[in-house]
Amino acid sequence: MSPATSQTPVNDALRRAEIDLSLRHPVMFFFTSGAAWLAVAILLGIVASAKTHSPDFLTGWSWLTYGRVQSAHMNALVYGWACQAAFGALIWLMARLSRQECRAAGIILVAGHVWNLAISLGLIAILAGGGTGMPWMEFPAFAWVPMLLSYAAIAIWSMVQFKVRPAGHVFISQWYILAALIWFPWVFASAHLLIHAFAGNPVMAAAINAWYRSAMLLLFFVPTGIAAAYYLIPKVTGRPVYSYSLSALGFWSLAIIAPWAGMQKLAGAPIPNFLPYLGAAATILFAVPCIAVGVNLLKTAAGAPETVANSPSLHFTIMGVFGLLILGAASVFLNNPAILPGTQFSMANYGFDILGVYGFFSFIAFGVIYFVVPRITRREWLSSRLIKMHFFLSLYGVALVVIVALFGGAMQGIGLEDYKMPAEDASMRAYPYAVATTLAWCFLLFSNVFFFFHLTLMWLRLGRRSSHPTLLGVHHADDLHDAAHGPEGDIDNGGPGTVHPDSHAHSH
Amino acid sequence: MSFRQFAFGLTASFGIAWLAVVIVPFFMMRHLKPVEFKEAADGKEGIYFPKSAGRVTNGAEVYAANGCAHCHSQLIRPVYAGNDLGRPDWAGLKNDEERGDTRRQSNIFDYQGEKFAQIGLSRLGPDLSNVGRRVEKIYCKDGGDPKSWLLSHLYNPRANPKLVTSKCPSFPFFFETKEIEGQVPANAITVKDGEAVVPGPEALVLVDYLLSLKRDDAVPASMNHLPPVPKGAPKPAAPAAAAPQG
Repeated sequence: MSPATSQTPVNDALRRAEIDLSLRHPVMFFFTSGAAWLAVAILLGIVASAKTHSPDFLTGWSWLTYGRVQSAHMNALVYGWACQAAFGALIWLMARLSRQECRAAGIILVAGHVWNLAISLGLIAILAGGGTGMPWMEFPAFAWVPMLLSYAAIAIWSMVQFKVRPAGHVFISQWYILAALIWFPWVFASAHLLIHAFAGNPVMAAAINAWYRSAMLLLFFVPTGIAAAYYLIPKVTGRPVYSYSLSALGFWSLAIIAPWAGMQKLAGAPIPNFLPYLGAAATILFAVPCIAVGVNLLKTAAGAPETVANSPSLHFTIMGVFGLLILGAASVFLNNPAILPGTQFSMANYGFDILGVYGFFSFIAFGVIYFVVPRITRREWLSSRLIKMHFFLSLYGVALVVIVALFGGAMQGIGLEDYKMPAEDASMRAYPYAVATTLAWCFLLFSNVFFFFHLTLMWLRLGRRSSHPTLLGVHHADDLHDAAHGPEGDIDNGGPGTVHPDSHAHSH
Repeated sequence: MSFRQFAFGLTASFGIAWLAVVIVPFFMMRHLKPVEFKEAADGKEGIYFPKSAGRVTNGAEVYAANGCAHCHSQLIRPVYAGNDLGRPDWAGLKNDEERGDTRRQSNIFDYQGEKFAQIGLSRLGPDLSNVGRRVEKIYCKDGGDPKSWLLSHLYNPRANPKLVTSKCPSFPFFFETKEIEGQVPANAITVKDGEAVVPGPEALVLVDYLLSLKRDDAVPASMNHLPPVPKGAPKPAAPAAAAPQG
């Protein structure tokens, strides 16, 4: 911690205001363009899902054929929305936790545009029939180098901020942020290099691809989401994290277990036998960090139930933590030896990916957005009703996608393993669940309309000019305002220092 | 915990797994040793030469770019990992006229010549490891050209009265509809109202690729972990049978 002399509440508020101001443009850029990609991903998801049960829907155009739209859907969701939401969250959290202003907002903004350009071209190439056919890596080989370089230009500043932070305590969130910042380029570069740049065995390339998909979820989205939750929940409730040893257990068990996971997707393929076995074992053990983190965070939040009930960002964050617990349970369920043969080639895998990327990660990302956007735009969210609609419709929509895909995948798997019956039986078993998945995506589109509309208004700086945060509870008692944002969380929307006009802005 | 310890722990925990499951297997599998037939198990000696039938590369690219792997796998798992070998026509043929039961699990040589093994994500459609064999020996067993069977299937899977419930996309954009002037084009797959539907280049290379998928040649027993054959039952694979043509 910095010396006590610079730790007065006023100086603290000024410092935070300066940090937020320095990051306003890059963070808003990642959140808004991420949201735009989310809209694209959901529309593509509806079209793709509709085609699995009504194959003659929009059949005449080559760029709308199922295989291309489904690939485009996942890539838009992962690289367009989730990665950009993660970038926005990571750079903001690291700046705040290291108490450093961002001195490279321009470079980050340029890098963000390069990232968007690369994935736009990649997505167009997929739809035009130039995809590589490697799941989550369908962008043609031209895209990954600019993506990696722009990532480096976005992330390096957060590492620098950590390095030059005031000496002392390292927050739990910072462990996870550093880990995510290091794991992402390591995973991304090694998978793309080995598959695109080295001539290797084609089955091993498929195995590395499976590992890559698992690592993107478990080693980037999971630590990023957990980092944000470890920031938001103690911050907003104003309570210390429940248990330090649980935090350490959750972090190190993730670091040790998750890198081994992924190759169980190739169980039975002609690769060395230990790879799928290790993958299945590690994915099952992934439940350990999920439970450690989930229990720790929920115990922290449980001490302030009123705050949780009132805070929009906690609504989403807590639901994301539940999503993490369900993700852990699903990884045990789907990868144990009795179930894996059936679900290995079923829609359950899609359900698992959506559970991870939407049910867990996106909910926490929404939590971050509802927390951060008022601070960097210096405007409050306009309407608690819009937030509530977004929350409940998202919850029902994603629950429907996940339940349907996991349960439908299990049903489909029973049909697939029943080798005495024709293979068509398995696809007939999957049919009703495919219809339900389409409905669920429509639900999610509807829910996010409220979010897109609200975020656009905030982006246009049409938010409320008020220092009273937008809360969800029915009783808007005055004493709740501070509680809902935590002691450090109030916003003075008149500009830095206006709350205490006699303070010295240049004092540190 | 100092930052140095933290950084070391992070690097070690990830690096060990990364080396063990990604880097070392990748470089070890770049060069495969040939597999030998053994007299005791296979009834013959010699090196196994994997066969690849037909032109693969261009068709594999069309297969990949159009996301066929979202619904079709190309993996016959051994019995410990799934029941694929039990199906009569996925892993080979249960009753091939000349070779008997040709079913076998996938092996590392089956994907030769491809950049990326299209193991597949889901099985909304059937496994395609042996679709070439299946089309030739089953779907076209009463005469009929395997190539035109597949072309018609790609043009509209549901036009086949046996596949009306198929959820496979149709690919009309891989075909051209041409007005017939004079003779009907020899490669037309359907003719309607003075117009003929002829396959374009993507359809042709894709069909070549699909017809090359015949992964049921006899392999050394050391690569094929079939369940033990009950006494008195016919041998699962005829090891000395002639290599498949194709």
